[in-house]
Amino acid sequence: MMAFLNFYLIPGVVLGCIYALGAIGISLTFGILRFSNFAHGDTMTLGVYITLSLVQFSGLHPLLVAPLAMVLTTGIVLGLDRTFYKPFRTSPAIMLVIASFGLMLMIRSVIQFFWGVQLQALQTGIQMPLEALLPVRFSENHLLIIGATVLLMMAVHLVLTRTKIGKAMRATSDNPELAALTGIDTEVVIRATWAMGASLAVAAGVFLGLDTHVETMMGFKLLLPMFAAAILGGIGKPYGAVAGGLVIGIAEELSAYPWIGTTPLLSPGYKGGVAFAIMVAMLIWKPQGLFRGRQF
Amino acid sequence: MKHLITAAALAALAATPAMAGEIRVGSVAGVTGPIAELVAPIVAGRNLAAAHINANGGLLDGDTLVLVLADSQCDPKAGVDAGNKVVNVEQVVAIVGASCSGATNGMVQSVTIPAGIPSVSDSATAPSITDLDDNNLVFRTAPSDAYQGAALAKLAWEAGYRKLAVTYANDDYNAGIAEVFVANFEGLGGKVTANQVHEPNKASYRAEITTLSGGGAEALALFAYYGGSGITIIRNALETGAFGKFMAADGMFDVSVIEQIGAENLRGNLMITQSASDPSNTSYQLFAEAYKSTGMDPGAPYAAHGYDATFLIALAIEQAGAADPALIAAALPEVANAPGEIIRPGEWEKAKALIAAGKAVNYEGASGSVDFDAAGDVPGFYSVNTINAEGKFEMRFLR
Repeated sequence: MMAFLNFYLIPGVVLGCIYALGAIGISLTFGILRFSNFAHGDTMTLGVYITLSLVQFSGLHPLLVAPLAMVLTTGIVLGLDRTFYKPFRTSPAIMLVIASFGLMLMIRSVIQFFWGVQLQALQTGIQMPLEALLPVRFSENHLLIIGATVLLMMAVHLVLTRTKIGKAMRATSDNPELAALTGIDTEVVIRATWAMGASLAVAAGVFLGLDTHVETMMGFKLLLPMFAAAILGGIGKPYGAVAGGLVIGIAEELSAYPWIGTTPLLSPGYKGGVAFAIMVAMLIWKPQGLFRGRQF
Repeated sequence: MKHLITAAALAALAATPAMAGEIRVGSVAGVTGPIAELVAPIVAGRNLAAAHINANGGLLDGDTLVLVLADSQCDPKAGVDAGNKVVNVEQVVAIVGASCSGATNGMVQSVTIPAGIPSVSDSATAPSITDLDDNNLVFRTAPSDAYQGAALAKLAWEAGYRKLAVTYANDDYNAGIAEVFVANFEGLGGKVTANQVHEPNKASYRAEITTLSGGGAEALALFAYYGGSGITIIRNALETGAFGKFMAADGMFDVSVIEQIGAENLRGNLMITQSASDPSNTSYQLFAEAYKSTGMDPGAPYAAHGYDATFLIALAIEQAGAADPALIAAALPEVANAPGEIIRPGEWEKAKALIAAGKAVNYEGASGSVDFDAAGDVPGFYSVNTINAEGKFEMRFLR
């Protein structure tokens, strides 16, 4: 039982937190800007590398400099939106998708160009589980990741429900034409969407960097599970994205648990397929997702 | 700034159209991807060979050997793309590479074998490449892991391990060497308590490690690329306390393993085999001196193999007397194997004169004798690497 908690459930929750934060941005851009943003993963990578440089420059803990990295990344993303996406605002969605695909490759190349392709680390060495909590094995990083995710999600919730811009975002996501008719400035909503998506992506990337290491493909590798989480939760539904992220993260880890007998239920070599399978199943049987998002 | 200049120079080079007096050879390498750090010295080895050749008379009638670099990302799909690029766009006559076994398998099966272009890989080691139906077009200066897996199994046995857990990343190289390792270790009388494949590039391997540690193994034999899953697995295994001792092959041989995990956690606990050159070999010493003068470390994995692969292709072009892929493929074993006058790294002028005089040559490379067998493979030599008191890798050549 302890093994189940320590080695399957806790890593699953940590992974789920990372997916969830990343999926919020994908879900919001899909809901408000109406296209699937392929560059989201590499936006995340960019934020992690900015954090890495800040850590090397200041010597502070990555989580302390992450807010500054979020601001910087948001600035860059807003600049990219102005240059690359704004001209396509009224174009068919496929053009935006292709633009984001190109942007994804460009961001990654720029990262590889300036920071190099070597493996880097936000923190070196290993972290033993906290003594006080044994036999539950929680490492300090995992507590920080889960705690910070909860805080960020509460912040997202407050922004979406209590602020004017948050309400405007939800309204635009639900029905853009109606929202524009009621006098909501869609450009402001779009900028807010980018800011929120990019900041949360940076947070997710930094958490992943803390748990593993930093490399130029890290964000791209998360793209599929993040899309799966957004679809599972329902497109355009930030709460759905959170639920979807957690479900996919936990499902990936638990799929390797020896539920029957002593061998893993699913060979861990196919863990990555779990997100795929859930996504495909959702698209077939419940395309609007768990939280009744938009259907395409 | 240095990056900028290099990149600008590369861009300028790539933009130059093929012209008379230039023979293009593809240089396909995993410049980005999970073993990026390992690939840079290999490419430097290839470039050093090209520099030696061009500085000493060039190919045929003074033609320049141009290496066209393409990124195979250590990935089968990217390997196919890179192969397509150099073969169809850049019109190369032969290829050095690709770097990883998966990328090489993809590239040769989808692109170079159908196109009839010979390739010499300097770091693809999967046993499966031996059995390819390749029309004698696929060669490698990197020895097959049929040898490395056996060497590592023997080391494990000699180190006193009797029960091991094995895990390998889901790709050609790691699956291949794991299979050989398991067969050899069991052949010696050892017991493999768990043998499990894992998916690379995941954030956590705690679940996998828990399953692996079930059978009471004394150590974990880990076959992975360090940047794919290797480092994460070692970290997770140490953190969960499931394993304290590790054995690995050359996919894990990079200083970032020490940098990321910490030497104090690995000293005495990690053993990595690597395809190595005999330091007492004259050919190796010639290469090492030249390579060191470019500011690089000659002990870097497969750097010597990269030099040899490039040098061999150049010799084969010279022997063929024309930049013709079919003739080059046929000439490759002739210049690599006995009989013939021995040619060592850097001795391009001598080789050129001998070939012009119609004499046979036999290249004795920096990485070893590089005598191709019928499958285009070479015999293997290995070193074992452990972590010393200064937190650096310490190499011991296995004889």
